[in-house]
Amino acid sequence: MELTDAELAAAFKAGDPEALGLLMERHKAALYGYLLRLTGRQDAAEDVFQEVFLKLVKNPGAYGEKEKFKAWLFTVARNAAMDQFRRRAARGEVALEGPDGQAGPADFLASAEPGPEQAFYGKDLGRRIDAALASLSEDQREVFYLRHYSELSFKEIAEALKVPIGTVLARMSRAAARLREKLEKEMQ
Amino acid sequence: MSCEYGEKLILYLYGEADAGLKAGVEAHLPGCAACRGELEALRLAGGRLAAFSAEPRPSVLAAVMSAARNARRGAFSFGWREALLSGALASVLGGVFAFTSPAGKELAWNSGLDANLDSVEYSVYQEQTDLSASAGDWDYRYSELEDDAAAVSENA
Repeated sequence: MELTDAELAAAFKAGDPEALGLLMERHKAALYGYLLRLTGRQDAAEDVFQEVFLKLVKNPGAYGEKEKFKAWLFTVARNAAMDQFRRRAARGEVALEGPDGQAGPADFLASAEPGPEQAFYGKDLGRRIDAALASLSEDQREVFYLRHYSELSFKEIAEALKVPIGTVLARMSRAAARLREKLEKEMQ
Repeated sequence: MSCEYGEKLILYLYGEADAGLKAGVEAHLPGCAACRGELEALRLAGGRLAAFSAEPRPSVLAAVMSAARNARRGAFSFGWREALLSGALASVLGGVFAFTSPAGKELAWNSGLDANLDSVEYSVYQEQTDLSASAGDWDYRYSELEDDAAAVSENA
């Protein structure tokens, strides 16, 4: 029987380093996809990914086991990405996912192995969707990405972001309206 | 223009609506082009995100695992040595506390326990220094391996 996240985290705390490997393996695609979208850069996403798991290595008690492991993981990742973003901003580096959608993470993602769904969407439509996503406010985009990649419930997302659930739903709703407005032409 | 179903629509799309809410949204949708448009837009955007499956490079995962295994080995080695030295120190201190009467003090003085304590303290200090140096060596070797890995990926 497959061990749960909480059981693997407990095994790691008890001294089994391989349990961490299983946790990483289980969540790497979702967490990395999320970080890649948030940061827009492969090196930045990998740095934050590593930082999150090294945090657990240095202090296995950092995850308290009271909350869902995935919620802890995405919350720590989101905060680390925000810290990194602030450091980059302080150094005068430009966020790659700008309001115009000019240099979004899709520029990097396009180099990933294309799957059947990517072929279905096509490059042009894909770019228009990326531009629509880039037109969302930072808050709206964050909630949308968090929901999509972490698959946490809106209640869990609200707890992770420390905002009321109504705020999370309102951001999602405004994101939906904005995406519709931007993608109207594609849907006709 | 969005209608008042905005947030209900979100709960519906993501499977968090209860039966009543679900039925209400389904009854509302045929007559509301804006809501149908929002659903479709969210599906398109979600599909776009799902279309890519990127993963961190294996070297990123390997670095984390290496740190995890080293931390585990370090903790075990340190605990074992510390336990041994602590035990020795506790035995000696126990001997000292056993000689608390004036006669005992005299006995302790003449028995050379002070010198033994100094010796144990020095051993603890030496072990700590060795451990610290060993940890430094590992760190240095690890950074060398990271450099090698970077050079290999640059050449690849």
